[in-house]
Amino acid sequence: MTAVHNGTGADEVRHIEFEAAPARYARGWHCIGLEREFRDGKPHSIEAFGTKLVVWADSQGEIKVLDAYCRHMGGDLSQGTVKGDEVACPFHDWRWGGDGRCKQIPYARRVPLRARTRTWHAMAQDGLVFVWHDHEGNAPIPEQAIPLIDGGPSDPTWTDWAWATTVVNTNCREIIDNVVDMAHFFYVHHAFPTYFKNTFEGHTATQLQKGVNRDDMRPAEVAIGAPKRLGNTSVATYHGPSFMIDDLIYHYEHGDTRTVLINCHYPIDENSFMLLYGISMQRPEVQDDDPAAADALAAKMVATVRLGFEQDVEIWKNKTRIDNPLLCEEDGPVYQLRRWYEQFYVDVDQVTSEMTERFEFELDTTKPIEAWQREVEENVARRAEAAAAEAAAAAVPQTQDA
Amino acid sequence: MGVRPDNRLADAPMHPVACTSCAARVLVRKASWQQTSVQWSDEAMAACSSWSPGSAVKGLPPVCDRLRDSIAQAVVDGTLPVLAPEDD
Repeated sequence: MTAVHNGTGADEVRHIEFEAAPARYARGWHCIGLEREFRDGKPHSIEAFGTKLVVWADSQGEIKVLDAYCRHMGGDLSQGTVKGDEVACPFHDWRWGGDGRCKQIPYARRVPLRARTRTWHAMAQDGLVFVWHDHEGNAPIPEQAIPLIDGGPSDPTWTDWAWATTVVNTNCREIIDNVVDMAHFFYVHHAFPTYFKNTFEGHTATQLQKGVNRDDMRPAEVAIGAPKRLGNTSVATYHGPSFMIDDLIYHYEHGDTRTVLINCHYPIDENSFMLLYGISMQRPEVQDDDPAAADALAAKMVATVRLGFEQDVEIWKNKTRIDNPLLCEEDGPVYQLRRWYEQFYVDVDQVTSEMTERFEFELDTTKPIEAWQREVEENVARRAEAAAAEAAAAAVPQTQDA
Repeated sequence: MGVRPDNRLADAPMHPVACTSCAARVLVRKASWQQTSVQWSDEAMAACSSWSPGSAVKGLPPVCDRLRDSIAQAVVDGTLPVLAPEDD
């Protein structure tokens, strides 16, 4: 007898399947950081989309983004200096304008033809800088515009961004999956969602969540002196492939606090991404003795969010990529979310309605279901009775005829 | 790349439910009394009389109350199965 088991059905071993992470990057606006940090008169280096970018503000305050590598001899413009409106290469001082043209070579009589480099569409709003990426090289798509934030640092009654970044060494699909992963909130983040809803539609993917906290499981938060939280209400939406705005209301013992949480990323390459996140908080109406109390609290909240992401990162750095997750009925709509996410990785003319049509998933644990259940049982019983009576009535003449 | 099919739909697919107040026809699946999935088509969205653009982003109840009632009615009528009724 051989010991080979070609099991079938329930005996068959489930194999994890995955293809390599896509070799292209998502189409959409990607937040690369805080506006104030790019406005210091220096060029900044951003490793993104498998290459390196240089970011600076020109004399008009416009944020400009070019490929970092100088088309002359490959110098890194992000290590150069801003001279006037242009960025100057540290290698031979070639001056590049935000329009991608070489404006001047100090030691040459004229600039050669074809002295043109790649430009990236950029914009700034709500104190954040965004870069547009499209594999096909198209201009930004109006439908994928990032909406203005309701509240946040543009509103003087809110705190400035308390902000943090971290490099995560995995493909960015892992963080997208979090949108639907209800169960991980309980097991990884020790929160207890009582209401959970996902809606995918067009370019947006939303997670609506109401939850209560598991007090027993928050020693890390207690350790940093974060205030005691009872629960939260969160409406978090990805606008495109990488930028999430989360209108997040924390319910504390002393009352509610309105905050906006930004959770965004840009791919560094196919196996790593930069995770950026920040919180702005509405200042309490009654000012504390300490005017910086709200900012201090926002900073503590970001520290709390960091703890949450650290828990995620710990999972991500050890897990495998998986294209065929084996889901149980209690899991969220992972496949449907990935179908939505797929639209950003295909050419615009390859986007199918299947990727953008509205899909909803709701889990409501708050509604009493007993009454509803009873009504159905009664209906089914009544229908069964009626059917039995009908069958009996039909059976009688048949018997007589026979 | 291509996204795989949901393993859960192989055993229990979604069921058509028509809204009782407009012409919208959607696909619905109830894995439990508490859990509901709704797949819209572009045609259903066009037919729906209460949907407004951006409602999902604002966190408004995305299924309109009338469709919600229609789904509840389909359960009561026994035309929409609840997959795990004994669990609750």
